[in-house]
Amino acid sequence: MPFPRRQTAIAGVYRTAQGKLPDRSAFSLQLEAIKGAIAEAGMQLSDIDGLMTLSGSNHHQAQAGSPTDTHQFWAEQLGGRPIRYISLGGSSGQIAKASAAIAAGLCEVAVLFYGRAGQRLGPGGSTVPTAAPRVPEWSWTVQGAYMTPFYALWAQRYLHEFKVTAEDLAEVAVVNRYHATLNPESVMGRKGEITVQDVVGSRMIADPLHLLDCSLDNDGGYAVVLTTAERARDGAKKPVYVLGGAEAVHTDLYLSQDGDWFPPQGRSVRRAADDAFALAGVSRDDIDVFGSYDCFTITALRNYEEMGFCELGEAAAFVKEGHTRLGGKLPTSTDGGLLSGSHCGDPSGLPIVEVVRQLRGECGARQVPDAKIGLTHQQGYAVHGLTSAAILAVD
Amino acid sequence: MYLKPLPTPATHVFWDGLRRREFLVPRCNDCGRYGWIPYPACRKCQSENLEWVAVSGRATIYSYTLVHRGAGAFAADVPYAIVAAALVEDPTACVVLANTTGIAPEDLHIGMEVSIAFEDIPGEDITLWRVTS
Repeated sequence: MPFPRRQTAIAGVYRTAQGKLPDRSAFSLQLEAIKGAIAEAGMQLSDIDGLMTLSGSNHHQAQAGSPTDTHQFWAEQLGGRPIRYISLGGSSGQIAKASAAIAAGLCEVAVLFYGRAGQRLGPGGSTVPTAAPRVPEWSWTVQGAYMTPFYALWAQRYLHEFKVTAEDLAEVAVVNRYHATLNPESVMGRKGEITVQDVVGSRMIADPLHLLDCSLDNDGGYAVVLTTAERARDGAKKPVYVLGGAEAVHTDLYLSQDGDWFPPQGRSVRRAADDAFALAGVSRDDIDVFGSYDCFTITALRNYEEMGFCELGEAAAFVKEGHTRLGGKLPTSTDGGLLSGSHCGDPSGLPIVEVVRQLRGECGARQVPDAKIGLTHQQGYAVHGLTSAAILAVD
Repeated sequence: MYLKPLPTPATHVFWDGLRRREFLVPRCNDCGRYGWIPYPACRKCQSENLEWVAVSGRATIYSYTLVHRGAGAFAADVPYAIVAAALVEDPTACVVLANTTGIAPEDLHIGMEVSIAFEDIPGEDITLWRVTS
């Protein structure tokens, strides 16, 4: 059974302001994003009949606990009409699944959305309690771990196995920042370009990851509207067709992961990428622009390897050769990515927004000339453990 | 006073073992695989015929990081080490996350031979595991 290539399309995207937004709530960012993407698609909120939610979108604490809480909340909030399709997972995988659902007639207009305000992922703002907090028994907070130390463990092992240096990691941040300077909507672009020395000279967070090796941690929201190709062609914007996509998961907790973190046969990211390319019927060489989930510099390197753009251990050289920079053969994270563009809690839909805008030719100074086919990616949950990819195209 | 997060024991056999200075790991009696942390069935062959066995505690550092920015009470400890230590019993299946004790940060390296140590938390009903040289 083939994937319904070009039978569905992204008809609208929207990105709220990203950064420190002290006057906003997560809800107001989500509503603004949904309204904005629906307006861009030339539709009404009442057209929505599918909801693709991402983590942390719940608003009713009283009801928190069910995986469908967020869908239920928004079904009520959008008028209590019957919503016909609900899904969970990373953004690119949800686009793939909803495409199959729309092609099968399960729904017609599905919206992916996220928004967050006022929360922080890292230690910033944490206080010392008056008694030891009791946490779930396998919580990594017992070891003083959080995202950055875990990615640092991953990075340290990678550096050891493949003779890569902190300066090599830094090259990723340099490219991302350069792209951010060309994106007026990026959080860090106004700060200007950075050098490898700036990255390795920035404050150490968890060895070998410096501050500038780490993603941002800001407020913001976004939404993406997916519908039938036919209906997208009636919209104001050029339809961005879904050629294929896939998701995969293999990990649970961060606390304990089996040895061999870099198996030559790959794991979930390799599987989802291979499936996405096979379903889409395109090759790696066909990709004009790549929206990578690059939450740390190490993540970006591993993404190139596992998604099949270079061999295991060769990603640092791939970046140094300039392939991932605008003008290279695989311009990546052209909005500045999660390192310099925005990381708003769950930013997994931001690469989709950027790739859609690139394929429509709306990216101004950072536009990839004649971009026709783009790749979007999302990963997370115990490093490369839950992941998805989607391949998008314009005529 | 210990102010860092402490686990809420649910797997009592494991936490009771730490108090006795034993690091217990579920081993599958059907395929022999060690699988820390516990799952209700073996993650390789899905047998429920599991048994908690005490391992030697000997391990090698698979990876490590020195954390310079810590949350809550960890902020006072920076830089502190977090290591991923591969138990010698079955290094492909058992990588244990731990803090260190008695290891100078500059001595930490991948491949370093370490062993599991135990720390009774004063005033609390918890013993935690660490790794030491």
